[in-house]
Amino acid sequence: MTRRSTVSALFSALLAVAVCACGSGGGSSTKAAALGAKQDSKPTTGGTIEYGHYQEPPCLVTTWVQTGYLTRQYLEQLITVDEKGEFLPWLAESWDISDDKQTYTFHLKPNVKFTNGEPFNSEAVKVNFDNWFSTDPTRRNGYVAFHVEDHIDKIETPDDLTVVFKLKHPHHPFLSALSQYAFGFLAPSVVKAGPEEWCVRPVGTGPFIVEKWNRGTNVVLKRNPNYNSAPGDVENKGPAYVDGINWKFLKDNTARWGSLKSGQSDVIYDIPGVNWAEANERYEVLRHITGGRPSQLALATDHAPFDDVKVRKAFQYASDRRKAVETVFQGAVPYNGNGALSASSPEHLKDLEDYYKYDPAKANQLLDEAGWTEKDADGIRSKNGKKLTVRIVYGAGSIISSDGSEFLQIVQDQAKQVGFDVQLKPITTADFFAGKGRQPGEFEIQPGYWVARSAEIFQVVWKPDAKADDGTVLPNANNTSRLQTDQVGIWQLVRQADQEYDDAKRTALYEQVQRKLVEEQAVTVGAYPLTVSLALSERITGIKLNASIGEPIFNDAYFVKGK
Amino acid sequence: MAATVLKRLAGAVLVLWATATFTFVVQLFMPGDRATMIINTQAGNLQNPSPEEIATLNERYGFDDSYLTQYLHYLGDLARGDLGVSYNQHQPVTEIIAAQIGPTIVLTVSALILAWVISLIITVLATGRDNVWSRAATGFQIVTAALPPYWIGTILLVLLAVQTGIFPVEGDTSVIGLILPALTLAIPLSGFLGQVTQDEFERVLEQPFVTSSRTRGMGDLGVRLRHVLRHAVLPAVTLSGWALGALFSGAVLIEAVFSRPGIGGILVQATSGRDIPLVTGVMLASAVMYIVANLLVDVAYRYVDPRLRTA
Repeated sequence: MTRRSTVSALFSALLAVAVCACGSGGGSSTKAAALGAKQDSKPTTGGTIEYGHYQEPPCLVTTWVQTGYLTRQYLEQLITVDEKGEFLPWLAESWDISDDKQTYTFHLKPNVKFTNGEPFNSEAVKVNFDNWFSTDPTRRNGYVAFHVEDHIDKIETPDDLTVVFKLKHPHHPFLSALSQYAFGFLAPSVVKAGPEEWCVRPVGTGPFIVEKWNRGTNVVLKRNPNYNSAPGDVENKGPAYVDGINWKFLKDNTARWGSLKSGQSDVIYDIPGVNWAEANERYEVLRHITGGRPSQLALATDHAPFDDVKVRKAFQYASDRRKAVETVFQGAVPYNGNGALSASSPEHLKDLEDYYKYDPAKANQLLDEAGWTEKDADGIRSKNGKKLTVRIVYGAGSIISSDGSEFLQIVQDQAKQVGFDVQLKPITTADFFAGKGRQPGEFEIQPGYWVARSAEIFQVVWKPDAKADDGTVLPNANNTSRLQTDQVGIWQLVRQADQEYDDAKRTALYEQVQRKLVEEQAVTVGAYPLTVSLALSERITGIKLNASIGEPIFNDAYFVKGK
Repeated sequence: MAATVLKRLAGAVLVLWATATFTFVVQLFMPGDRATMIINTQAGNLQNPSPEEIATLNERYGFDDSYLTQYLHYLGDLARGDLGVSYNQHQPVTEIIAAQIGPTIVLTVSALILAWVISLIITVLATGRDNVWSRAATGFQIVTAALPPYWIGTILLVLLAVQTGIFPVEGDTSVIGLILPALTLAIPLSGFLGQVTQDEFERVLEQPFVTSSRTRGMGDLGVRLRHVLRHAVLPAVTLSGWALGALFSGAVLIEAVFSRPGIGGILVQATSGRDIPLVTGVMLASAVMYIVANLLVDVAYRYVDPRLRTA
């Protein structure tokens, strides 16, 4: 045997072993039996849930949606919401809205205490809101501010258990906003101490208490034995059944999936695409399609070539996005063709899903009409000597996952067939957050999502640029398409809808907004929604995902006897 | 002797200063506004902060000062052992690193020891022999020296942890949890060390003193262990200082594969969030590791080769 053949023999042996290892047994009969056992079981107490999550936040209280999944376990909000869109009590027992819709009065649950013994009362609510609206950026809560700061005139606390929000004008999405994860309350002493304290030792009223954060490894959560403030969307009104949760950060897909298969985890988050079919065969799978703005490609309307609506429409027709999503995600994430709104938002218009079906002939025709008629040897179009180049600038690894990048590559390839020179410009997380590539004029296409429960996201992402007192323009960074919606009659509709309390009328207005954004302006190219998925072993049951943003809820979770 | 120690110390300080200066300069030339980035990382979304917000942060972190002032402040703090407060985690950098560096040191040192054990066994038993086993062993070393640790780690994880359950999938800090990650880092390094040692080993085997030892009636294994090995390991000892540094950076990836606590996760997070105080802290910690490793190599050298003791 020569040296080289030894090497190749060893190599193929290694490969063969690795390939064999991918095969697996199991089957749906085991899953059916496990599900049956789960349904018959009664809640048991005790045990610690081994939960394998993915992203580790830099701080235990931020408004990043990934932190929201975690804060749900220890911070609580005034209200929550169910799948039907009905708002349910949480730290607020009940609420009234005045006839002019400008005064929202919340009646707080009595005898609720933060886990450090401080009382939860109207003062605590006010302290938190003041902190969220702080001008100190390390205290300010951008998410809360975007959603409600423009609408709140003042917050009053007439007594210990009453909080009154005086609005500047009626704002129907106010309750929907309050039901979202970023509105969780910290104990006032912790608010006072600042991020140094709440980043590592947050204190709330929730069913679990943060005992310890071992960076890079886990957050140890212990049951709150005095818990008495359960939200309306859980069965168990007392302390959690389990002793605690070991919230582990398993960043590697193989490790996370392997941890569930080997029994080291009872539940894992974010089922890898390649394991999606097997997960559904073997385990109980929970999935939540997050609402708000889905992952979509915003086309920059403030400069060529997408200042021409025909070119925008041509780009919409140029790629088979439905097939691309199916290919890349293998069923783990659905297609969301209506770029204006995620399919899980109640106002979502279904008929816009396939408004721009893959149609290269139409794309070609539109580009011809728009004057992009010259073609070079590669088939790339140009007009007056200028090439039809579009840059897709995206936050790689942060906003766009590796699967998402693959989706963009397919779009790039197909758009090239009709004459677009599409350039992919991935930007690292830090540079992207620092603003690199995101300033007006630096991109033609910017992919992105913005989680919310419903159409209330319109007032965040379609708000026109503001002007400072000295006349300088302050661009709304969330409006990546740069469409000044007040000039095309969309912003007026959003404002009107937000102030409309008649459900049918309001929905009709939000539908008009979607039609204008998609059909008329064609500024947003639909792709796929943010998706939360959980796989549960046969040992555990009772976990659910919140209807708003899909945070996992463990109040009702318990271990199945005999497993 | 005192002069040597002083020279060593001065060298160490120079390396630390260079590391600190390099990190400082690099961050100045990164695109984008530092205050904006801190605000957006904190918020977890993209926004154009107001001028007031930016001013608050520029004031707090001194971003508005001249680069020279910033640099002097930074060096002054370093000299006092103050690495500052992490931009994103809002905790003192020294505390964050102190809490995480232990498992990384344990991992890198165990990997180095394991790599030495594997390469020595193969070298002593296989070098200079001409049979199927020795060729297979040599082939193994060549292949492994070129394998990416990330790939080895994933294969080991799937085979020995996920499929068979012999080892835990999540590498905890227990001894059994250490085996797979240490092996992952040790395998390619052992191939590398083995290659270097083997060449030297083959050369030494042909030296006259080896023949004379044999004629004195020493057994083959004895000659290999007592005489040949001593000469042959010197290049690999020299390389170990470098190897420890390489293992340190390799650990960054492997810690993620095996979900081990350690400095790797921190570095990845700090770099992607451009958390300069934290990145600097980790860089300095690595530089210290590197300096200590090279000091140890010097000591080992004197031990292995007595001729150097008087030098």
